[in-house]
Amino acid sequence: MDDKKNQIITEQVERWDLYARLTPTAFLLSSIILIIFDIIDFETAFYVGLVGFAITAVVWWWWAIFTIKYLITTLNRASKNLQEVNQEVKAITQEVKSIRDES
Amino acid sequence: MNLNNYALIKAATNIISGFSMVTLIVLGVAYMSFKNSFVYQDVQIQIINNPVTGDKDIEFAMIGSKRHDCASTRVYGTAYSEDNRAIILDRFSKQYIYNTTPGDAIPNSWSLVKPKEIIPGMYRVSITGEFVCTYIVFKQEKIQSYDNILLIVK
Repeated sequence: MDDKKNQIITEQVERWDLYARLTPTAFLLSSIILIIFDIIDFETAFYVGLVGFAITAVVWWWWAIFTIKYLITTLNRASKNLQEVNQEVKAITQEVKSIRDES
Repeated sequence: MNLNNYALIKAATNIISGFSMVTLIVLGVAYMSFKNSFVYQDVQIQIINNPVTGDKDIEFAMIGSKRHDCASTRVYGTAYSEDNRAIILDRFSKQYIYNTTPGDAIPNSWSLVKPKEIIPGMYRVSITGEFVCTYIVFKQEKIQSYDNILLIVK
């Protein structure tokens, strides 16, 4: 379950990375071409950019919140499991020591 | 594609994307600033031949500075009488300078023919200018008004 979820998050991070690298340049170039050929004016490009920026910011914000929540839960679970292992190792060490003392 | 080429392409796209983002932000901020700015700053307009008598024209003087390059396309005045009648003043007997240089405060003056509807009394005059402004790659039509100029007709 965790492996699958981790894989999904890794893929999502890669998609965000690609989006961040391509979108600004693609938007800038397409806007320049559309403005030069008088298909749209600067005001339209400005508002389209503003709406795109706002949608990206909101989607990224919620994605980041849910991802951070998942990572903290995973970290807490891992930490708890490590503590349990530590306790068990201590108990086993104690038992081994007492058996050795008896013999 | 080997690992080196992949890393190189990734780095290049990161840099290009960064520059694109900076360009978009700078252009966006410049556009907002240009769109919301007034044509004239520190502007003052007054009628210099108050009280206007007989068939004399109404003479206006103005001083103000422009931030951007703006050319006026239409200028007209509206005189409001004390009983709130609006009379349009748009017949120029002396023209104003259409495209003053941006930056310094430059005086400008013009005269408008006094219409027959203007009878002796006091009026509040509004001068409205319609402009086409340009800045870097932007072009915008703007309207600016200057209200409450006292006109006394005797």
